[in-house]
Amino acid sequence: MSNHQILNTNDHAELRVHTGASADRGDAVMAALAVPEEFRKLQAHYPIVFRRDNKGNVSALALFGFENGENLFLQGENWDAAYRPLSIDIQPFLFGRPASGEGDGQVHVDMDHPRISPNGEGTRVFDATGRATPYLEGIADKLGLLHSAFEASGAFFAALARYELLEPFTLNVPLSDGSKQALVGFHIIDEAKLRSLDGEALGALHAEGHLMAIFMSLASLSHFTDLIARKEAKLARG
Amino acid sequence: MNTEFGRVVIVGGGTAGWLSAAYLAARHPGLAIILVEAPDIPTVGVGEGSWPTLRQTLATIGIDEAEFLTACDASFKQGTRFDGWKDGSAGDRYYHPFTPPPQGDVGELLAAAGKSDFAHAATPQAAVCDADLAPRQRAMPGYAGALNYGYHLDAGKFARLLRRHAVDRLGVTHQRDVVVAVERRASGDIAALTLRDGGALTGDLFLDCTGMAARLIGEELGTEWVDRSDTSFNDRALAVQVPTASDSPIASQTVATAHEAGWLWDIALPTRRGIGCVYSSRHLSDDRAKDILSSYIADKVPGADAASIAPRLLQFRTGHRAEFWRGNCIAVGLSAGFIEPLEASAIVLIELSVKALADHFPQSRAALPHYAARFNRLFRYRWDRVVEFLKLHYVLSERSGDYWRDQRDPATLPPALKEQLALWRDHPPSAIDLPQVDEMFSAASQQYVLYGMGWPTPACASPTPSDTALAQVRETAERARALAAALPTNRAYFDALNPLREEAVQQ
Repeated sequence: MSNHQILNTNDHAELRVHTGASADRGDAVMAALAVPEEFRKLQAHYPIVFRRDNKGNVSALALFGFENGENLFLQGENWDAAYRPLSIDIQPFLFGRPASGEGDGQVHVDMDHPRISPNGEGTRVFDATGRATPYLEGIADKLGLLHSAFEASGAFFAALARYELLEPFTLNVPLSDGSKQALVGFHIIDEAKLRSLDGEALGALHAEGHLMAIFMSLASLSHFTDLIARKEAKLARG
Repeated sequence: MNTEFGRVVIVGGGTAGWLSAAYLAARHPGLAIILVEAPDIPTVGVGEGSWPTLRQTLATIGIDEAEFLTACDASFKQGTRFDGWKDGSAGDRYYHPFTPPPQGDVGELLAAAGKSDFAHAATPQAAVCDADLAPRQRAMPGYAGALNYGYHLDAGKFARLLRRHAVDRLGVTHQRDVVVAVERRASGDIAALTLRDGGALTGDLFLDCTGMAARLIGEELGTEWVDRSDTSFNDRALAVQVPTASDSPIASQTVATAHEAGWLWDIALPTRRGIGCVYSSRHLSDDRAKDILSSYIADKVPGADAASIAPRLLQFRTGHRAEFWRGNCIAVGLSAGFIEPLEASAIVLIELSVKALADHFPQSRAALPHYAARFNRLFRYRWDRVVEFLKLHYVLSERSGDYWRDQRDPATLPPALKEQLALWRDHPPSAIDLPQVDEMFSAASQQYVLYGMGWPTPACASPTPSDTALAQVRETAERARALAAALPTNRAYFDALNPLREEAVQQ
């Protein structure tokens, strides 16, 4: 269910958007799309994993929980991490192209998104004179960044495939209440493979700018401990 | 607590009485607190503006902010806008916002302000007030804001909320009775009150919250009255409530508009505006004051029937007690004194008085005279500062007429204010001028009024603004843009609270 429109001062002069976090505003999700460009910031908070769809396309995800709809970082109206993935931050906006498919990117908005404010609360997109607010300026920057980072991510995933650096990943966690938490269907960086790469391969990955992102995603896996602790805390709260 | 003052009797049930009862009970749960309220005495519901201090006070008492806002028909107050005080010309207005200027050199900031007025250059709050925006979003935790703020409120409803909370949650005893006599000890201290129905009511400490009647501190103990009308001329007000349309904007600030012999207050609540004409009876007749009030309403309140208003006349004596605490009796509220409604110092003086009492609650009778002496020194200082700061608003005016000429007469200026004005030609107001820890009016407040009234940039400032100050002015403008986008209008904020109001009505 969505209702995409091209953002403009005529139709959206009074538009306000709720920028805070909340399950009601669509934040109850277990993962969000991540781009290699932001791995460094993401790895300070979330495990970064990879998924391969049935067409073989790879994407990266920041993980917030263990099951669908579970966001362990969401506590009421607070998102308990200093950085939110760009793909979450830009909602309800999208990067769009004119119908011709050419020209500069446009800001589109999903008017059916739960972040759209039905009343006078929330943050304005245009000020009273029709000028973009600092909030919209920030959104436009993030959309541009996300778009270019997404375009560039193909080369990153191709490099991972070239060196066969992804391995399937299954996590089975026994929880203190006796239940088990399983996570299946994801991939992570194959650390042994990475260690075995020779200087030439590493040099090539470095020259293409992928090496940092590879290490960042590897480092991010230590956050599984934190994610499990959040799950335990949630179970303890009932 | 092993105090010898375990039983506190409060006389009077207005804002002063109930705020004192609730605050003392919250801070010192071990005290037995009895509030005696005459069932048939109407309270003077004038104090409709608060300072930001009230947020901390309410949080301490344990009242939820949304509950307070709905129960008292309250709105946000982010400062005061003074219209027409300099010369009465078109566009003569300035703000005294609650958010202080950025840290740094105020002289430089003034130089950097350029065409923008001082308040707009110093804080984004001025622009937020221009647009009738709330200082916070509903999702923020209670009593937190993007900008500093206090409240406008319905004083009658406020006293009722405090009473409910003090009695139901904090264990205050409410006695509806009339004090007919006061029993004294040989030392002169109050031993007990004789009540019309309830007989003798003993106590260790007595709070006089009986308003201008000053039943204990004045009538019974006869403490001296210090008249301040030689400096502060206003002694009357005509007050009226004007209902407003449900979709009308709600102003974020008290609007104080100067007139020929005083000023008008205009305080917007969600459902009405409280408007009043303050004047000096020496300079203006009651009839003329009523004309000024009704023409203001005709001019400023869309759809109001200005011809048929029936304002209430309030008369007040300008001054305060020489002692606010004598023996075991403390005056809190109007019984301690009143200067005039400008800058809404009534409620904050109640808060400061009861906080000073609670911070160092007396333990032993032997030390009591010293508590009293210290309290009296502190509050004499505070009343003096109130008188001086209020006078500052008038002496810088260039308005014509007897009233304003008399206001500027050097003979009516307190010596301390004369000295400050001389120093402020050289340097901006600073903490050096106001050395107390809890000053009534900070240096920032003095700056907003001084430079709002067009006081020249101090001699100490360099002629060209520093890069730091220029950056501060740009930063303020950027923050104003961001806040204008993120904050709801007051109307939107209070409309969103309506479901809560309906819930409260159903209970």
